[in-house]
Amino acid sequence: MAPSHTPLLSLQNAARTLAFAVGLGLAAPALAAGQITVGVGDNILGLDPTDLNDSVSLSASRLFFQGLYGFDRDLKLVPVLAEKTDVNADSTQYTVHLRKDVKFHDGTPFNAEAVKINYDRLRDPANHLKRQSLLEAIDKVEVVDEFTVRLVLKAPSGVLLNYLAHSGASILSPKAIAQYGKDVSRNPVGTGPFVFTSWATDNLKAVRNPNYWRKGRPHLDAVTIRSVGESGARLALLRSGEAQFIFPLPQETVQVVEKDSRLAIDTTPSIVTQYVALNTQKKPFDDVRVRQALNYAIDKTAFIKVVYNGFGVPQDAPVAPGIAYYSKQGIWPYDPAKAKQLLAEAGYPNGFETEIWNFSNTLNNRASQFLQQQLGAVGVKLKLNPLEAGVATTRLWGAKTPEEAEVRMFFGSWAPSTGDADWALRPLLASRSFPPALYNISYFKDAEVDAELQKGFATADAGQRKAAYDRIQKLVWEKTPWIFLSVNTLVAGRDKRLTGLTQMPDTSLTYEDAVLQ
Amino acid sequence: MLFFLRRLAAAIPVLFAVSVFVFGFVRVLPGDPARLVAGADATEQEVASARQALGLDRPIWEQYVRYVGASLKGDLGVSSRTREPVIDVIAARFWPTLWLTLAAMGWATLAGTFIGVWAGTRRGRWQDQMAMLFAIGGLSFPGFWLGLLLINLFSVHLGWLPTGGFDSWLSLLMPSFTLGVGVAAVLARFSRSAYVDVAAEDYVRTARSKGLRERRVIWRHGVRNALIPVVTLTGLEFGTLLGGAIVVETVFAWPGLGRLLVDSIAFRDYPVIQAEILLLSAEFMLINLVIDMLYGVLNPEIRLRS
Repeated sequence: MAPSHTPLLSLQNAARTLAFAVGLGLAAPALAAGQITVGVGDNILGLDPTDLNDSVSLSASRLFFQGLYGFDRDLKLVPVLAEKTDVNADSTQYTVHLRKDVKFHDGTPFNAEAVKINYDRLRDPANHLKRQSLLEAIDKVEVVDEFTVRLVLKAPSGVLLNYLAHSGASILSPKAIAQYGKDVSRNPVGTGPFVFTSWATDNLKAVRNPNYWRKGRPHLDAVTIRSVGESGARLALLRSGEAQFIFPLPQETVQVVEKDSRLAIDTTPSIVTQYVALNTQKKPFDDVRVRQALNYAIDKTAFIKVVYNGFGVPQDAPVAPGIAYYSKQGIWPYDPAKAKQLLAEAGYPNGFETEIWNFSNTLNNRASQFLQQQLGAVGVKLKLNPLEAGVATTRLWGAKTPEEAEVRMFFGSWAPSTGDADWALRPLLASRSFPPALYNISYFKDAEVDAELQKGFATADAGQRKAAYDRIQKLVWEKTPWIFLSVNTLVAGRDKRLTGLTQMPDTSLTYEDAVLQ
Repeated sequence: MLFFLRRLAAAIPVLFAVSVFVFGFVRVLPGDPARLVAGADATEQEVASARQALGLDRPIWEQYVRYVGASLKGDLGVSSRTREPVIDVIAARFWPTLWLTLAAMGWATLAGTFIGVWAGTRRGRWQDQMAMLFAIGGLSFPGFWLGLLLINLFSVHLGWLPTGGFDSWLSLLMPSFTLGVGVAAVLARFSRSAYVDVAAEDYVRTARSKGLRERRVIWRHGVRNALIPVVTLTGLEFGTLLGGAIVVETVFAWPGLGRLLVDSIAFRDYPVIQAEILLLSAEFMLINLVIDMLYGVLNPEIRLRS
């Protein structure tokens, strides 16, 4: 809590104390050994990972929590609290063998019963947990023995382990769930490398878990996460030595950090794709030639340079390179002459007028302005309509049918947090994902894509899945329901004495191997 | 005392009207709180589940009856953004806001009034011009920019003060200074002109001609009467700052009510918006009451008339 009892000091006293503090150097940030502060751009909204969907809170929850599976830095699926999993032939039963040497922070042993309590809690609709759908494929959770749990599915699924690896399917201490009820989101107790100390409005504190099951880790004694929304102030946090790591580092301040010999820039390829969804059921975007023309009309390299200060790579497939089953298609070439020719063939020799929407913020607005300028050069006049996030929910998801949809072009992004092609494609391109169900804002409907998506989802066989996702990405690339733009690079600022703090492609941080010299 | 109680009683229907207005107002805002809670990648079932959890699937009259019923029992509901009780959310932001307001208003009122009177007594001389230059500078200097300059100097280069947050009273210095500059400037201009007007009054000339010492003439007869408009302005500024100072809170990562309101509106966090606007209305009414009572202290004639 904030110190509500801070004495109000007279000016004279304040001046005297300030002089004293400065004399002793008290105001300078005291940096105990192995203690770091991380500055983030948003507030932490809760610490129960099963009830979170914002990346800042989920990232913070990873100090305390782990799941049966997780992802390494390259987004490869790795076992964490599980040792291994046996899947039956038709991918309907997953038998998970658990680690035997794990305890929760409160001393409760980690076992099959704990997994069952957690998964049943997450699946139960009465609990209204935001990550409920991660486990919607599961029909039953059975305790086989103390360290074996069997997940029986409603239908075959090839992606279950990716869903278990999502932070939202983390395992909480069953004792804490019983003890705190809904307040468990303010009292996080897990199996992770750090133990919760306190959380006030803008300030989360954690200390080293001395009984952590990975021996010799973590190296840091304590971690503080501070929320500083203003980017200049966040940069000052790093430069003054109050923080040892800040994310995001505003791209326009990269040069300031580079000049400072004590600081370094960390870049991480993300899995976040930036694209413009084109409403394929409305004129003129129902004509594939128009959609292809718009792809030819945009210089992707210039887009990245102008909007993101060069931090990104042109999109070369419908999913980002870090996603499982990514299938490279090449980059849509920048060719305004070809764009004009295709528009003429489609019956728009003089172009047309339309409107582009985006969630309003500096970067998104800048992106739409860039698109307006480039499309203007081939005769397509864009009206910009940046939407406040709340308003956007009504405009995008308010339409109950494709006919009602008002959206024509939408500049947006997608971060498939399961790291798998299924969640990178199905919510955006399956015909069952039209709003309000999910996020298919292009109202793209293609029978073959639908069938292949179902194939890829329903099998655990890697060869079959690869074939399905190769085919889908090729089809989508040709049918261009989107203007394919970029995959962004994450940019963070770091004190050079801090090493081993890794940022994952989904923006979350891993503190386990971090060392402060 | 009777006056005080009567005014307090009169505040109740006003607050009730505000509650109805705010309840309707937040629901008229475009935007779906359930979708915002569930997130962009939520399935339709998850959105429906969120709507049910927020109680937004019920008819609006039922929502209002529940809201009033719970509020009367002191239960302001749960924030849809953080799922914390609204009372805790507001309390965590109220105290930092109050301290920041008191610190900023404290120095700004003293400095602003003093500079204004000082300039007024030296009207047209170089001191007057210097003071008014300060006032115009203080008014036109953007708080955002001043805040970042201070952080750059005192935190990044000198390392004396924390960049932001509310960890110790040291973190109060830069934000309260930044916030107070504009207020001090307004008060300086205001009290100068108020003093100049009063100084031309007959009773001041009379006091001077009685042979009173100049200091006594200025403070006892001049300033005291010039203070009435200044008190009004101070009260209004105080009320405004208590509502939170979004720019200063943002630059200094100050956990105040201003940012809370903006975040809550962006998230369509109905319970928090309702409670915070109700709190702000109550604060304003209380401040107005205190100002009215201060008039009486400064000028007994006002007290007699009321």
